[in-house]
Amino acid sequence: MNESTYKSSREPLFRVVKRAERSGRQMLIFRLLAVLLSLVAGGLFILAIGANPLQVYRQILDGAFRSKLAFQGTVKLCIPLCISALGVTLAFKMKFWNIGGEGQIIMGGIFATYFALFHSDWNHWLLMLVCLLAGIVGGGLWGLLAAFCKVKWNTNETLLTLMLNYVALYLVTYLQNDPWRDPKANGFPKIASFDSNAILDRVLGVQAGWIVMLILVVAVWIYLKKSKQGYEIAVVGESQDTARYAGIRVKRVILRTMFLSGAIAGVCGMLQAVGTDATLSTGVAGGIGFTAIIVAWLCQLHPGMILVVSFLFSVLEKGSSVVQSQMGLSSDCAAVLQGIILFFILASEFFVRYSFVLRKKEKTPAPAAKKEAV
Amino acid sequence: MAQTTAIACSKITKRFGTVVANDAIDLQVRYGEILALLGENGSGKTTLMNMLSGIYHPDEGTIAVDGRTVAISSPADAQRLGIGMIHQHFKLVEPFSAMDNIVLGTKERKLNNRALKEKVLGLCKEYGLSINPEQRVQDMSVSEKQTVEILKVLYRGARILILDEPTAVLTPQETDKLFQILRGMREKGCAIIIITHKLNEVMAISDRVTILRKGKSVGTVETSQVDPAKLTELMVGHAVSLSIHRPEPRDVSTILKVVNLTVQRPDGGLGLDDVNFEIRRGEILGVAGIAGSGQKELCETIAGLMPAQKGAILYNKENILGKSPKEIIALGVSMSFVPEDRLGMGLVAGMGMTDNMLLKSYRRGKGPFVDRAPAKELAKELVDKLSIVTPSVETPVRLMSGGNVQKVLLGREIESDPNLLITAYPVRGLDINSSYLIYDLLNQQKEKGVAVVFIGEDLDVLLELCDRIMVLCHGKITGIVDAKATTKEQIGLMMTGEENA
Amino acid sequence: MMKKFLSALLAAAMMALCLAGCGGDTTGSGSGSGSASGGVAKEDIKVGVIHIGDPAAGSGYSYAHDQGIVGMQKNLGLSDDQIVRKNNVDDTKTADIENAITECIEEGCNIIFATSWGYMDVCERLSAEYPNVFFSHGTGVVSNGTNMNHYFGRIYQARYLSGIAAGLKTESNMIGYVAAMGQENGEVTSGIDAFAMGVESVNPDAKVYVKVTNSWYDPEGETQAAQALLDMGCDVIAQHCDTPNPQLAAERAGAFGVGYNSDMVNDAPNATLTSVMWDWSVYYTKAVQNVMDGTWVIGEKVEDYYGDMVDGLVTLGTLNTDLCAEGTEEAINEAKEKILSGEWDVFDGKTELEDNQGQMHTVEGADYGSVNWYYKNVELR
Repeated sequence: MNESTYKSSREPLFRVVKRAERSGRQMLIFRLLAVLLSLVAGGLFILAIGANPLQVYRQILDGAFRSKLAFQGTVKLCIPLCISALGVTLAFKMKFWNIGGEGQIIMGGIFATYFALFHSDWNHWLLMLVCLLAGIVGGGLWGLLAAFCKVKWNTNETLLTLMLNYVALYLVTYLQNDPWRDPKANGFPKIASFDSNAILDRVLGVQAGWIVMLILVVAVWIYLKKSKQGYEIAVVGESQDTARYAGIRVKRVILRTMFLSGAIAGVCGMLQAVGTDATLSTGVAGGIGFTAIIVAWLCQLHPGMILVVSFLFSVLEKGSSVVQSQMGLSSDCAAVLQGIILFFILASEFFVRYSFVLRKKEKTPAPAAKKEAV
Repeated sequence: MAQTTAIACSKITKRFGTVVANDAIDLQVRYGEILALLGENGSGKTTLMNMLSGIYHPDEGTIAVDGRTVAISSPADAQRLGIGMIHQHFKLVEPFSAMDNIVLGTKERKLNNRALKEKVLGLCKEYGLSINPEQRVQDMSVSEKQTVEILKVLYRGARILILDEPTAVLTPQETDKLFQILRGMREKGCAIIIITHKLNEVMAISDRVTILRKGKSVGTVETSQVDPAKLTELMVGHAVSLSIHRPEPRDVSTILKVVNLTVQRPDGGLGLDDVNFEIRRGEILGVAGIAGSGQKELCETIAGLMPAQKGAILYNKENILGKSPKEIIALGVSMSFVPEDRLGMGLVAGMGMTDNMLLKSYRRGKGPFVDRAPAKELAKELVDKLSIVTPSVETPVRLMSGGNVQKVLLGREIESDPNLLITAYPVRGLDINSSYLIYDLLNQQKEKGVAVVFIGEDLDVLLELCDRIMVLCHGKITGIVDAKATTKEQIGLMMTGEENA
Repeated sequence: MMKKFLSALLAAAMMALCLAGCGGDTTGSGSGSGSASGGVAKEDIKVGVIHIGDPAAGSGYSYAHDQGIVGMQKNLGLSDDQIVRKNNVDDTKTADIENAITECIEEGCNIIFATSWGYMDVCERLSAEYPNVFFSHGTGVVSNGTNMNHYFGRIYQARYLSGIAAGLKTESNMIGYVAAMGQENGEVTSGIDAFAMGVESVNPDAKVYVKVTNSWYDPEGETQAAQALLDMGCDVIAQHCDTPNPQLAAERAGAFGVGYNSDMVNDAPNATLTSVMWDWSVYYTKAVQNVMDGTWVIGEKVEDYYGDMVDGLVTLGTLNTDLCAEGTEEAINEAKEKILSGEWDVFDGKTELEDNQGQMHTVEGADYGSVNWYYKNVELR
């Protein structure tokens, strides 16, 4: 509908048309097709930079699964991604645009770190429990803060949660520069590594967080599908008017859900700090809070799917870093490859709902009518 | 009369996914005539007109304007071809003046104000319209806004006008005035298509009628050759009795007494202004009024969803305002409310019937989990009882047709066994069969001794269905009348506050 | 209701954690063949390098280290697949560091060179976990004598010499210094002090103005810091940070500079007077050689390394004689002779040095880490 059609008075080359609802099977085929296409497009990119796509893809799988150690590494990447995707899922189900997973992870990490750092002499299991609770409280409060402003002053939650990410991040910078600075770090601003008593145990070679992750997948699924509170979240998400009509206390649901959403992210932060990093650094969230949003959307907020897709993301992540070192591709190339695959999968979501209709060939433009009409 | 054909559509087909909205439709309109396009909701009227105004493009078939085949791919194309559409929902910039709205988007926006004003006034004079070109649209009445819309298309040189349900938002008096204007345009040689589903209006204004049913064209008839019964038959597919049954009220007793009720809208204006009336068991109280006269505030305040500034709602001398639903039920009032916005308030659009049945009862039972079994039972029961058409009780209700959605909502509310049932525009958008089913359900409730409140927009229906009619205007009650002893015109005057009963 | 549900959830989580505690703990074993006798055969050597940046940048810190690896590979005749590189490993993201190092181990590396300070804690932790892998951590302070050491050198020697070039060149008597870390960081601060002493030795009137970026690698921040110093009136910009951006900023402003890490005369030929450089191949060759010939035995004995100008780890890059003031080369050579002969050193552990607060200090070179004061002609901006 622009200048050219105005002149030619012809149909545009293609139009976007909304499709009928698709069946679950069609959707599945569509997504698989998208993955396939993305691999082809990614392959073209790899060819363009002078490598063999099949070799690269094999290398990715190889890098993620080639040994027990590799597989453990893949799982390790999966844990924070899956848990924080579960966290944002709760908020998104309510259509509360929590972009603050990053900050909530960090706050969970900060709270847990306090105990890991200053109470490392406590009984190990007590300390781990306290750290977990601290993570829940830290992340939860950070989520609650955005929800509180929303219900109190109707602030924009997208902006607020996004901003709070930076507040949390700079809080870590402050802590490592000043009050929690490691005096033994030769002037380098960092927080000391935790005492071994304050580090989460490993199970089957991976930090125990993977068990927490599996439990959370099931728990979030049950909570959303079966519980009264989950039902309230769904109603509030669909329509606040309906919720009001049904006598649901909307503000309370928003506050409660955002606390839980943040709390789950906080658990992720705790597991990262106490389970993986054994310290608190500005990289504790490392962008996972944002990737989690993509994962949650891709999975249409289904906890089971989130587990699967998080794992696939981890395979890609882990495999790419091996490709970088094995084939000498720059790590930026791996990032481009990931971007291409994501792009296609997200684009397939568009084609699930819409389709393009091409202009028909046998058009008979009518310039005569145009003159007449003026 | 040497009338030339303005638009000729032949074999127009439009599909949306698997839904065929228009199926090989033929339609012709000539200059100097008014063509009514009649059909129930969902029969494809608006889709067809949107193709004429360049919003959609037909999948098959051709459109000819002035005898030449054309492709209308944008509203701009339609405008150049002299086609102007007046939509049901006005597309005006509220803070702008009438003439700024009229000139918006045309090439002549550089015209100075005085010349523009003169041009607009000239158009008004030519077609017998009256507005103040410098008034801001937000300060205008619905009817005046519609006039601005008409001027907008006339200003752009339209000679073919399409009006989508133009009377839906008008009082009877305003409707008459609009029809006068349309007749004037016909005299000037314009071709006019008016979309409607109100039979009396078809009879009153049109020269010919094209009837659509389920996306197909059933035929075109000369208006003078048919009567409303015949039109209904064509529209619905079978003969329908058009009179609404009204059982005599029995054992009427007051359930709620509304005293000096004043309610503020969220924007600060008064939604209800010192309102006094009674709601009685065993009768249907109709509420008439122009849209936005306080109907929403009335329903929601009684239903306990909106706070009141002043006044009381008494049940046996006890004020129920500010009480929780639980407390109100404990007093003996069990209220059901069928809101105007069915999918946005009464139901959860993305959920199936089962989960929608739970909306008010999900808290039942101990423990943190929802028991879905009874809800599923209830959903299945309703499907049988009200012959609801849905693939399954888990299909999201937004995928169901308007009539079925309303059956789900009303069915759920009636199943909760209320003694007060408030319904806001319960038949809006429904086909004739569904509408009559709803009237029957409401009458059944009335005969059971339930107090029924019916917020309506079609005055014919209000007059036939209700026992008493309360008329609202700007949040005030301008009259409560006996439905059997009132005329449409009287109610129309009360709606604009020009007559107090 | 909510509390109950939450506590149930928590209990479940806790139970799982408890169960987890009973599970077996598997420690992956590195594939190194660290036999005690005679060292590791050449073909069994596999070296992993963790870079904070990308050596492909062609300049700066990671490039300098990678040149060292390339040199070592050539010196010892290792094949390409005996080197595994992990680039762009952010030293604030512990998980990423761990991932990169374990991947090297997966690929069979038995020697890991972790080049950035921030990798220290992870190396320390992993060295306990993988006793058959040798973790060699650059610039750090942690070592365990069995499979983790740290390596660094008397870079201050070259900095002193470069200070002579800067001191002779400046006309405004204002010299800028872009520093990655603040005063508490001994590595950076000792370098600044040595540089300032070099300046003072030829130009007692000049002052050194320091601007801190708080990051080892921050291309944007380094440009900004240099620009701020230039705007103040500095006409020579020295640097202790990873990119050549301060040199480029000086070049754009028509000023001069002293580069670091790699020979930045190549980056800014119209500005850089000389560069303070590392020749990491000296250490990398020595370390791998030691492992090969059994001088160091992974898991039993490794030693920290602290090199200097004498063994060639620390050097001064090309002296851009076209730009330098007259007599620069002679003055530098004179001081250099004294250092090489062992006759004198900047931090000799005896000479009383005055800081800019009037306090006196003595420093022994290997204790550079304790230097947290600025020399008397230094001012923080």
